[in-house]
Amino acid sequence: MLKKDQNDLLTQTGPATPGGRLFRSYWLPALLAEELPANDCPPVRVKILSERLIAFRDSAGRLGLMDEFCAHRGVSLWFGRNEEGGLRCPYHGWKYDHTGQCIEVPSEPVESGFCGKIKLKSYPLIERGGVLWTYMGPPEKQPPLPEWEFATVPAAQSFMSKRIQECNWLQAMEGGIDSSHVSFLHRGELNTDPLFRGARGNQYNMRDARPVFEVVESAGGLNIGVRRNAEDGHYYWRITQWVMPSFTMIPPRGDHAIHGHFWIPIDDETCWTWSYDYHPTRALSAEERAAMRAGKGVHVTYVPGTFRPLANKDNDYLIDRAAQKAGRTYSGVGGIAMQDASLQESMGPVVDRTKENLVSTDNGIIMARHRLLRATKALMEKDATPPGVDLAHQRVRSAAVVLPADQPFMEAAKDAMIAREGTAHASV
Amino acid sequence: MNVCLWGPAVQSESARAASRAEARFRIDAPNSRRRAVKVIALDSQSERIVERLAQSSWAGAVFLTAAGGAPARGERFSISGWLADLAGHTKNLVGEIDSADHVVMIATAGEKLEAASIIGEACSLKQVMTTALVLSQASTGDAVLSQSLAQLRPWALMLVIASAEDYIADMLAALRA
Ligand code: FES
Ligand SMILES: [Fe+2]
Repeated sequence: MLKKDQNDLLTQTGPATPGGRLFRSYWLPALLAEELPANDCPPVRVKILSERLIAFRDSAGRLGLMDEFCAHRGVSLWFGRNEEGGLRCPYHGWKYDHTGQCIEVPSEPVESGFCGKIKLKSYPLIERGGVLWTYMGPPEKQPPLPEWEFATVPAAQSFMSKRIQECNWLQAMEGGIDSSHVSFLHRGELNTDPLFRGARGNQYNMRDARPVFEVVESAGGLNIGVRRNAEDGHYYWRITQWVMPSFTMIPPRGDHAIHGHFWIPIDDETCWTWSYDYHPTRALSAEERAAMRAGKGVHVTYVPGTFRPLANKDNDYLIDRAAQKAGRTYSGVGGIAMQDASLQESMGPVVDRTKENLVSTDNGIIMARHRLLRATKALMEKDATPPGVDLAHQRVRSAAVVLPADQPFMEAAKDAMIAREGTAHASV
Repeated sequence: MNVCLWGPAVQSESARAASRAEARFRIDAPNSRRRAVKVIALDSQSERIVERLAQSSWAGAVFLTAAGGAPARGERFSISGWLADLAGHTKNLVGEIDSADHVVMIATAGEKLEAASIIGEACSLKQVMTTALVLSQASTGDAVLSQSLAQLRPWALMLVIASAEDYIADMLAALRA
């Protein structure tokens, strides 16, 4: 349970909100690089943290992310002409460069220098790991570029997708650290999904339905360990990473790629779910890529031409009651991603946390909220840099390991939880 | 008929139900009854924390201490006269566990935590959910922490290692304690 004011604080991320200031401390994924595939390509609307922006790649390949609306009379620059080093408003021809600086006002004499007085608010936009990242905080506090492992391995080793999720970011993100739902909601997929099946660890998952949990604060967020019985005096540990504010990494299975998410607020009632898959030491196979594109694992298929999942609330998520009854899926919804999203969206645009009844196994969620609140307070009161900005906090890995019963995962798997170039992930 | 300007002309049930407008109709009736949460300090540092926590108002949480310590090895253990409330009144362990829905043990890394096994055993006998919360400072050595964890792990279905005392209050509030 949370009090209403705490719930508001965590779920509101618009400009000038404390939660918004927290998100504006980080580099955030804003677009897939493929959305701006070429110089002078069409501009793309971006809504992030409740701000409407336009992204474009100019004639020289420079990336711009700025106020969507022309400073003259408020036309959307989505209609703009992306040409000759800038984006030109089609209404009266005002032209802006990638920093939002107005560089031409055709009606005014050049000598007047009028255009120098016009500048749209803009944010840096950089490419890394197939993603275009932005930082929306004060320029003097801009952190070093992100170093999440999925974004730093060679492109052949990683795959990234994103989808619109029609609810507040926090209830979506909480699903990512809610380790106790997997044995219910996703139980059908462990042995059928091509990106999960066949791992030895899956057997432990199926055999021991009463896992035991350990939640440990880490420098950047949390390690959430789930322990199940394995052979003679050993435990099978699955350790999830959560790094502030909204990065998660799910424990791997066998030699499958590791995956996880970012949840980025679009506004307070919608968010982007970013889903990555990468292998630290090998290229993804053609089959793996095909499966990811076909919406397997943590990915989805789309309404053509959009980032909206094909199964969405307008078609009742294509719920199949016969499959539910027969146990092929637990909720009747197909695919891991939409099994999660359908339930999270069903809570309403912003879930009312004053009505919930959390139990002890929800300590991962309770601790994540606590840390978000603590970091927001420290940021507001002392201008303290929140966890997750430090690059060392980003170099983490999830792990799935079998350990002797007397060894705590924090020590035995310490190395496994740090991303090291060229070393494979710890996974059974 | 509901008309959605950018979607199909007739909204699906899920789309309508998940709207902000419909969220207003979530009924405003209690959906749980009071739970009996017993918070037990296992060592003297934790006892001071529990004393501070007990000052706030709670939905029925009971605060106890076992910081007096379990009897030394070899000594005969008597189940009475060992657990106490914060005013120092002796409590009967079995009675307390019997009336609990959830037992939260608070421990400080590096302290004597033998009481965990006694409380834990009683809880597993009575099928009561146990959470152990260990406070560990950045300065706490790995060996010290892991020794404490080893004492708690067999008896906690949820083990939380926290760096700050104020987490405990947040956790208890979240659990409606
Ligand atoms: S069982 Fe967890 S939300 Fe219903
Ligand atoms: Fe899930």
